[in-house]
Amino acid sequence: MNHAVNNVSSDDQASDRQVMLGPLELEVMDVLWNSGARNVREVVKRMRRELAYTTVMTTMDRLYKKGLLARELDERAFIYSPKLTRQEWNRRRAGEMMAGFLSGPEESRHLLLSCLVDAVGSHDSQLLDELETKIQRKREELANSNQK
Amino acid sequence: MIFPYYVRLIILCFASFYVAHTAMWLAVRGFASTGLRIAQTMRPRMAAQFLFAVRSAPMVVSLFLVAGFCVPSYVWWEPNIAGERVGWICLAAALLGISVWAISLVRGGTSIVQTERYLRRWIRESKAGDSADLLIVRDCAAIMAVAGVAHPRLVVSQQVMEALSDEQRAVAIRHEAAHRSSRDNLKKLLLLLTPDVLPFCRGLAQTERAWARFTEWAADDEAVDGSQERALSLATALVRVAKLGVRPAPAYVLSSLVNGDEDLRARVDRLLRKPAYAERPLQPLAAFARNAALILGCVAGTLLLWPESLNGVHQLLERLVQ
Repeated sequence: MNHAVNNVSSDDQASDRQVMLGPLELEVMDVLWNSGARNVREVVKRMRRELAYTTVMTTMDRLYKKGLLARELDERAFIYSPKLTRQEWNRRRAGEMMAGFLSGPEESRHLLLSCLVDAVGSHDSQLLDELETKIQRKREELANSNQK
Repeated sequence: MIFPYYVRLIILCFASFYVAHTAMWLAVRGFASTGLRIAQTMRPRMAAQFLFAVRSAPMVVSLFLVAGFCVPSYVWWEPNIAGERVGWICLAAALLGISVWAISLVRGGTSIVQTERYLRRWIRESKAGDSADLLIVRDCAAIMAVAGVAHPRLVVSQQVMEALSDEQRAVAIRHEAAHRSSRDNLKKLLLLLTPDVLPFCRGLAQTERAWARFTEWAADDEAVDGSQERALSLATALVRVAKLGVRPAPAYVLSSLVNGDEDLRARVDRLLRKPAYAERPLQPLAAFARNAALILGCVAGTLLLWPESLNGVHQLLERLVQ
């Protein structure tokens, strides 16, 4: 029998504050992103270097507490799976980092940067899709007029 | 309060700067919306330069008035006696003058230090040498920017490199190169150094935002230079990079320069219309030298044609000091 162990507070934790990952945590996340849901023993086998079972277990437990992994009890072992895809994780880190240096403490607000897209952003995704469609339409128009 | 000769000169300089600057600032504030309308009739590069001149006019003109009239009239007409009383109004104006300058200098200095700190971090991360012009960073942040003033470098995150095609990357780099050649970061720094009329009161933000919008448009035009293909590539690059990140809260000068989604929409729409050709690049140092020579010429001309002007200024200063 499978028991879903959902921890609401860890969900909130992950979405509400910056989550920093160390190299070992990233390595574990890499294994899970590449191979899907696994228990600790399977992750240990797939790691690039030899690590103690307890080290990996502690790391995965930490990732679970950070809200990056979900876990389900399967008989006697927890099966861990990533809550975010690699792309979603990268996007979140991107946002956190940009938010960190663009809107962080007062002194970091005045960076002398000329960005391609200033304040890259959570531009309304509908707007971005709309702009993409416009560009595509224009591209097609151009291609048609070139054919003629 | 009684102050010695040179301390009084310093107080007078700051007080007269503050008075002149406030008067000029109020005039520019009144002219701001007309100025924006005028700028909209110009091509982007010219419009940006015009708005930059408008925004920095209160500071530049006040500095020249102090250096060209107040200091000479004081040195010429004021007897070097032991000490003289300075009134409270003059002292208050001087204190305000000192505080607005101190705030803007701290703001400018902090921005240089912070930017240098990020640049050092990016240089370390990219493993490029100190003199490298292009830094490819492995940060997850979606960034493509020209950073720094003295030696501006192009910083691109791996994520952006991977998200863009060769053509899009090339035109995006042309856009950044345009920012670099027109020394937009130096102008940003000068805007940060421009004092406000009251401490912590930024009253000409609208002009600054408009300046930033026109510099972006000018860089777009320079990158595209009349090519429809490049315009499409740049528009795609803008949308792709925007899709990679999350917008932070508005921040002064850097992100408040962008009026959110509408600004991105306006840029893309502009690129999809008939793409504009690059404007002849303006030489910022030459323009500065020309304007400085013009103002100095006006000061010298006034003094030569109307030598009593110094006496008139001195009488005004006497009133201020009392």
